[in-house]
This record gives sequence, structure tokens and C-alpha cells, in this order.
Amino acid sequence: MKSAISNQKSLIIGWLYPDLMNTYGDTGNITVIKKRCLWRGINAEIKSIGLNSNEKDLLSCDLLLMGGAQDTQQEIVAKDLKRKKDALKETIEKGIPGLYICGGFQYLGNYYKTADGHKLEQLGVLDMYTENPGRKRLIGNIAVETEIFGGKKILLGFENHGGRTVLGKTIVPLGKVLKGFGSNDKDKEEGAVYKNTIGTYFHGPILPKNPFLADYLIKKALEIKYGEEISLEKLNDELAEKARKTIAKRLSIAI
Amino acid sequence: MLNLILILTGKLLSFISVYLNLGNGSTWPGHIALNINPDFAGEILKKSKTKIILITGTNGKTTTAKILESILEKDGKRVLTNKSGANLLNGIASSLIMEAGANGKVNKDYAIFETDESALSEVASRLTPDFLIALDLFRDQLDRYGEVDTIYKNWKSIYSDLKGKTKFILNGDDPRIAYLGMETDVDAKYFGLDEPAFKTNIPQYAADSSICPRCSHTLEFKPLYFSHIGVWECPSCGLKRPRISLNKSPSYPLEGIYNIYNTLASVLTAQELGVEKEAIEKGLIDFKPAFGRQEELNIDNRKVKLFLSKNPTGFNESLRTINSLKAGYLLIVLNDRIPDGRDISWIWDIDFENLLKTKTTINLAGDRVYDMALRLKYAGLKTLNFEDLDEAINNVLEKVSEGETLYILPTYSAMLEVRKILTGKKIL
Repeated sequence: MKSAISNQKSLIIGWLYPDLMNTYGDTGNITVIKKRCLWRGINAEIKSIGLNSNEKDLLSCDLLLMGGAQDTQQEIVAKDLKRKKDALKETIEKGIPGLYICGGFQYLGNYYKTADGHKLEQLGVLDMYTENPGRKRLIGNIAVETEIFGGKKILLGFENHGGRTVLGKTIVPLGKVLKGFGSNDKDKEEGAVYKNTIGTYFHGPILPKNPFLADYLIKKALEIKYGEEISLEKLNDELAEKARKTIAKRLSIAI
Repeated sequence: MLNLILILTGKLLSFISVYLNLGNGSTWPGHIALNINPDFAGEILKKSKTKIILITGTNGKTTTAKILESILEKDGKRVLTNKSGANLLNGIASSLIMEAGANGKVNKDYAIFETDESALSEVASRLTPDFLIALDLFRDQLDRYGEVDTIYKNWKSIYSDLKGKTKFILNGDDPRIAYLGMETDVDAKYFGLDEPAFKTNIPQYAADSSICPRCSHTLEFKPLYFSHIGVWECPSCGLKRPRISLNKSPSYPLEGIYNIYNTLASVLTAQELGVEKEAIEKGLIDFKPAFGRQEELNIDNRKVKLFLSKNPTGFNESLRTINSLKAGYLLIVLNDRIPDGRDISWIWDIDFENLLKTKTTINLAGDRVYDMALRLKYAGLKTLNFEDLDEAINNVLEKVSEGETLYILPTYSAMLEVRKILTGKKIL
């Protein structure tokens, strides 16, 4: 007879540059993933992938999360990421799920053009580029309609970014902007999805008020790790629902 | 002569406006004067031989200004103060118009002005202060003030402009605040803390300058007191905390490590102004806290203590203080109006997990009550959530027995609302 313990599933959550890329409350995304695993009896180990980590550390993760940062920090990370580029590319191509916010999202594209016209080469994992026209930052509450996670869902959060990201033909947006700006102020689309990698400008942080996205990432990570279909136990998300209603009412949208 | 005309016109406009009931005439006479002469406020203060002290930083401006005011008044000086805000220069110019006599001068020895981080460049370039106190730089209202890096760049250029004209009183324990003084080589004195007992062992995820301001290597703190504040040193390039001129005060009027820093800033400035030891000691003892900054109110023999908590660092320090006071009743009020910042993502940077070890239910209210409830749920804490602030206060106060204390942690606009409910009158 199998014991309960041998049945216990576990995930290694890789947190990319926690001390450098953690502005705008991005820590909250880690908290949410960890707790939603623990509440279901899934063991979640948070592994910090920073300046002192190597490619092997990165490849050992079952799920990756990366936040945004300020300019100085972003330069340090950009330099270090070049070393880990191949490993990161490998994980993304393998379908290891990941959530990349703001600055973390921009890194995945082909280039980033700064407000003063410098073109910085990025990792080139996703077919997209970002330009910062130096015009006003795109700031405010945002609502996005998406069908990526099975059925129609509304993502709610807060955006605050100077860069405008434009997607190439080989990747799809995360969703359609209902209220707010989105990836750029033109095409009314937000974020990007490639295999199980999700990039977005959503702060807030994104996961607490959009628990279906957190569960999607956990489910995918487990399915890839254990090679079987996973159905997650439902949790009580009543408070998240109430917090969502507050902001939906403010934006005059139905959720 | 022009300024005298502006003063007289301003007084007249203000009088007409009050007489015709067009509003209280508070900032627009100043606005008009500054449009005609942008250096109006600085010139009036210089002519009056009023020494100008600017206080900037993310946390502690109001408290530092209040402590310094208390000390200078004990020294027999006349002090003009002004609250921080978006229309700071207009407000200053307007109050000068009201204060000035027929000779175009104001009868004050010192003017203490709180200046928001993002307004410092404009205000300092127009006023050319005698003293500039810089307390700290933390993330605060990223949607309104921008990221800490942007503010830092603006400060650097104004420091260079003020070099040789202004004396700087700087927090040596905030790496970037300290390095800015060192890098621009201004005439600066530093305050800092040498109390190993206040060391924190908890990782500080909301820290904004844990990297060396010169070479970007990760800094070492021996010890770290909170966020990125402590006795810092770079193991790579050797940059370290500058020489500290003051690390102790005769007494501390308020609880909390951050208030130790506010006190040190005020005392060091007073010393540099030549204030006698006795006046400093008396000023500290007679100090009365500002609105909502550990302000204590009495409601039917029950105490209510307000801890304004508007960003992660301030909030963390409020929690630490409240824990040390063994708080039994706690109400957190989270609003997201313009004075609070529209973006509330900062609540996830508050370290509830390590700083709020309690089994008692925490009461919550405010425009974003459910966002806070969600945050605390993930921290494993139990909450009672109120959509209505009046109801929250009444409900919680009913549970507090005579002689006990209710601690309230509000954001800025929530603090004004709470005070209004508690005192039964509107406070602006």
C-alpha cells in the first residue's frame, strides 16, 4: 500500500532575481503560488535564481516567476541573464510554465529601445520588441478579457509602464483590453502567450485577484513534471471575488 | 518694489475673495504672485533674513518638521511652517503674502518646509534653502511619484546647483541618501544609528537600495535596522557609510526606529544652527505629535492611537512598534484615492508574515478592504471586514474596555476620515 507521503506532489518554484526584480509588490505572486500549493497538500519549494545561480539551478525549476524592476537593477540583471540565456530558452521551449511581469516580460523580446534612443538587445525568446517613446507612462487600473485559460475570463489589475511592446506574428496576446491601455497604447491588446510562458504588464500583483491564472500555472507545472493530467482541488476564493467586484464596479464592467 | 506690489495686491485679492465668499483664498494669490515673479517666495524670505530649512524624503517629513519646530520655539525663535503638497510653492507664497507687513518682510526667524521627493528640484531651485534635510528614499506611490531611480537623478542635479549655498543634513544609514552627499561633495553632516540591539534578521524584500550606489554590487549591512537602512558597506568597491556626526539624542519623543531617525535629523540640524543643549532637551520633551503620527485620542476613557501607514516601509515599522506595545485591538484602513496612491500593490510588500504574530482578529475597512483581506488571508491571519468605516470604528470601539487602546493604521485619506469620525468634525 502506498503511503500518503509518497503520493505527495512537489514543485520547485524558481523566483528570478528576487532581490533585484521585485518592485510593485511582485512578491505577492510568489506568496500566492506557494500558499495555493500548500493548501492543496502540494509541497512548494521557492528557489531563488539570482546572480550567484547557474544554468543548472534554472533548469531544475518546475515553474518560473519574474517581476519588474527599476533601470539600475534591470541593467545588472540584463548582463547576468545573457549567461543564462540558453537555459532559459530551453525551459521555455520545453513548456515549463512561467509568469514574466513588466521588466521581466520585456527581457523575453528581441530588443528594448530606451527613451533616449538606445537599442538594447534582449533575449529573443519571444517574437516581440519594446520601445519606450519617453511619452507619458501608462498607469491605471486595467481589465483584460482572455480565453487562454478555458472559457472567457477577465483579468483585473494595475498597470504602470513606460515601454510599449509590440508582438510579432508567431505569438498571441494574453487578451483583449476592456479598460486601460495594455501592451501599447494602440492595438488594445495586453501581454503575450507562448507555449506555457505568459508575459504581462499586470501589477497589482496579478495572481491574488486572478486565482484562475495561479491555478493554471500550478496545474501545467504539475502536468509537465508528472506526465499525467491533473485536476486541482477547488479553493475558497470568496475574498478574491469580492476584491474583484470592487475594481470591476469602479471600471464599470461586468465580471 | 515689484514684490511689495504683489504682496499688497495679493492681500487685497485675498480680502475680496473672502468678502465675496469666493473660497478661502488660500493658494491663488500665491499662484498669481509666482506667475509674475517666480522667485517671489525666495526673495521675500531672503529680504526678511528668514533662514529656510527644507525637509525631504519618503517617510518622516512631517514628524521631523514638528520636532525641529518644537526645539526652535523653545530656543525663543519664531517659526513659519508649511504642509507638504502638490502646490507647495503656491501655498508658501500665499502664506508669505498673508504674513508680510507693509515693509514687504515677514517677522520669522526660520521657515521649515516639507517638500515631496518629486517637488524638491523645483522648490529648492526657487528658494535656495540654508539647510536641506534628506531623510530617506523608499518606494511610495509609484504611480504618482515614479520610481526611486528617477527621483534620485533629479536630486543629484539640484544638489550640485545648491553646492556652496546650502548646508546638507543627511541620513548616513540610507546608502543612496548618503552617497548622493558624498558624490556631489556638498557641505554635509550625517546622522546615523549605532544600536546593534535594533538589528533585524528578517529578509527585507521591500528594500530599494540594497545594491551599492557606486558599483552596483550587493551591499553588506552590519547591522541592518530595517528595509535598506543600517550600517552599510560595499564588499566590492569598499564604499561605506560616511562619518556620522550624531548617533544619539537626549530623548526620543515617539516610538519606533524610524522616529529615532527623525529625532536625530532634527537634533543635528538644531546643533548646526547653534541651538543650546537645554532648548533641544526641552523641545524634545514638550513635543506634540502631528496629525495621525502616533497621535493619541481619547474616546469615552478608551484610547485610540493613530499610526499613519502609507507605504511598505512605514507600514512594516508601524507593525513592529505595535507588536512591541502588545496591541490587542487593531484596525487597518486601506484607501486608494489620489493622496494615497491609486496603486495598492504595495500591500504585498508589507511583511505581515513575520511582523504580525497574533491570534486576535484584525479589523479591516476602507475603499479596498477586500484587497487587504486577501493579503492577510495569504499571510494566514484572520480578519473581520467592514465596507463602512463608521460601522467599523463603532463596532471595534464597543469591544475595547475602559483604559484599553485601539490601534488604527490608516493610509493618508483614511487617516483624515478616521479623525473626522472620531472627533466629529472635519479636518482639512
